[in-house]
Amino acid sequence: MKIFVCVKHVPDTAASIKLAGETGFDDSEIKFIASPYDEYGIEEAVSLVEKNDGEVVIVTVGKDNAVSTIRSAMAMGAHRAILVKIDSQFLDSSLTAKALKAAIEQDGAGDLIFTGKGSVDTESFQTQYRLAELLEMPVVNEVSSLSIDDGKAVVEREIGGGEKQVIEMNLPCIIGADRGLNEPRYPKFPDIMKAKKKKIHEIEFSSLELDESKSMVEIEKLELVPERSGAKMIEGSVNDQADQLVKILKQDEKVL
Amino acid sequence: MSEKYDAIIIGAGVIGAPIAYEMAKMGYKTLNVDKLPDAGEGSTAGSCAIVRAHYSTADGVAMAYEGFKYWLDWENYLDNVEDEKGLAKYMNTGSILLKSQGHDWKKVQANYDEVGVDYEEWDNDKIKKAVPVADLHEFWPVRRPEDPKFYDEPTKALGGGIFCPEAGYVNDPALSAHNIMRAAEAKGSKFIFNAEVVDVRSENNKITGITLKDGTKIDAGIVVNVGGPHSFQINKMAEGVWEGCNIKTKALRHEVMYCPSPDEYDYINDGYHMSDGDIGCYVRPEVGNLFLIGSEDPDCDPQEWVDPDEFYAGKGGHGRDNVLSEEQWKAQCYRLGKRIPSLAVPNQPKGVVDLYDCSDDWIPVYDKSDLPGFYMAIGTSGNQYKNAPVVGRMMAELIDACEKGLDHDNEPMQYKYKFIDRTMNVGFFSRKREINYNSSFSVNG
Repeated sequence: MKIFVCVKHVPDTAASIKLAGETGFDDSEIKFIASPYDEYGIEEAVSLVEKNDGEVVIVTVGKDNAVSTIRSAMAMGAHRAILVKIDSQFLDSSLTAKALKAAIEQDGAGDLIFTGKGSVDTESFQTQYRLAELLEMPVVNEVSSLSIDDGKAVVEREIGGGEKQVIEMNLPCIIGADRGLNEPRYPKFPDIMKAKKKKIHEIEFSSLELDESKSMVEIEKLELVPERSGAKMIEGSVNDQADQLVKILKQDEKVL
Repeated sequence: MSEKYDAIIIGAGVIGAPIAYEMAKMGYKTLNVDKLPDAGEGSTAGSCAIVRAHYSTADGVAMAYEGFKYWLDWENYLDNVEDEKGLAKYMNTGSILLKSQGHDWKKVQANYDEVGVDYEEWDNDKIKKAVPVADLHEFWPVRRPEDPKFYDEPTKALGGGIFCPEAGYVNDPALSAHNIMRAAEAKGSKFIFNAEVVDVRSENNKITGITLKDGTKIDAGIVVNVGGPHSFQINKMAEGVWEGCNIKTKALRHEVMYCPSPDEYDYINDGYHMSDGDIGCYVRPEVGNLFLIGSEDPDCDPQEWVDPDEFYAGKGGHGRDNVLSEEQWKAQCYRLGKRIPSLAVPNQPKGVVDLYDCSDDWIPVYDKSDLPGFYMAIGTSGNQYKNAPVVGRMMAELIDACEKGLDHDNEPMQYKYKFIDRTMNVGFFSRKREINYNSSFSVNG
């Protein structure tokens, strides 16, 4: 099997982000990681190939420094990678899907494509659908269980209320991985060493002749989430506390 | 505050609390003030709480070995006090010091012999039996992962180690300070929290008390600086004290990491504390079958001196806040990955970042000051947690002797240990000393 896994290089959710200019942030000194949902895709792809032979190819659209994220995916067992290099910090889902399609087609068709169910930075939750449309493949997102048999993929996805939807698709198809699909493995030092020698094929975004002005989303301004102000403890009997709370909500906060 | 105290102790960490406890036992009415909400919540909480005896001087070994006796008999030390939070546990794992070029282990062994420390010499086979996941190749010298030579294949093997069975670690360092606070309170000590000191007052060259941020003035004839990473700020508040110290202290940022143990190794139950100078790391088990990975400060690693207030406020950029840095995470995990090739190294870092109250020569200052009535137990440099109960007793006796007229600067007090048959020249820890170049200038002390 040949499996592509689309992996996004995103800031660690614990990183303290500093804005740079109106529409960017300082990415020189913060920790980046593979978007956590993508790791479920990497794990699933690697374990499928361990069972059935084949190769796992990571596809990333990102800046130069995305190499660190690619290496960590390779340490989990991916065999090689394609990096579509961009200069901007944000590329909308539409252009990202087009770049992924071009990279995958240049490399040659695969049996399966994984993405995460969404990235933890921009959280647009669109790329997998757009990619499926461009590649004319079936796609299911938020997949928590997968089995492959006889050229078909049978997937389960949670639909709320404890119910699960079971869907059968023909391969090749696109699967948006969710928590529950597996437990991503931790690399070991020898895996990390091996990953350093694996091949990353770099493609310049500009060489794909995609019109960047066709971006469907434009970031006008980034703002930090306002810091929460200190909590106020209200003391006294329950009745006193309720009276005080109502007074604060009416007079100080003016929300009632 | 209308109450009068004999002594105010600034800080209620694992050193401040036992000073109060021992002074209270001697009849002093003490008050600890701490800017945080509870005992041990500052840099004590971030301590790896390792209890080991290998130091490069016999005095260092003796003090640590004396400390063992307190940890091994914790309930009795606390006079069987009750703590509603429960008692900290001493995890008596034993400690392996690998014989390597990163440690002067011959000196350590000679010191063990001199002090009478119980130890065994282990060859590689014995170590391999105890720690089956270890690769005992020599990786020296310590390098950083950015250095291509970091990945060179090793050719030589290490030459065994020294095992000290009484060593281990304390499972909850903050709780241990809390336990000592409860023991001190049972002897009459008082503690106040969320109380930041903004001034140390004196009149006619004699200490008179402190002033808190909210304006409260508390008077006492004795003030003890146990401010941890804030110690230099406290010294600067007291007239002439900072200027009178030849050895200064400042706050050093330090990171420890967690990595899951290999699946086949029950590290939390079967593991040892291990000092591994060959890769510049020390490790101990952590809840969740994790390896806690500390750094022995190899020369190739950068040192990041920070403002403690900014650090604890989480302000400032890289290296100045409490988020692990990518490079140091890699350095420590990859180094241990050489020793334990099946160690799991997650892509998302987990660990603790805190501050050392570091002195110029990584040896603490346990001393009086140039201002009568003002004392200090500072500059613990990441290596004094284990000694805390000993320091509590020693400082209490030093303060008592100085208050009764001892000229400690000229005739240093000789402290007689309670458990081992040895005395310590407390002048060794003098603020007036020249930098001690016998020090390892690292967490090893």
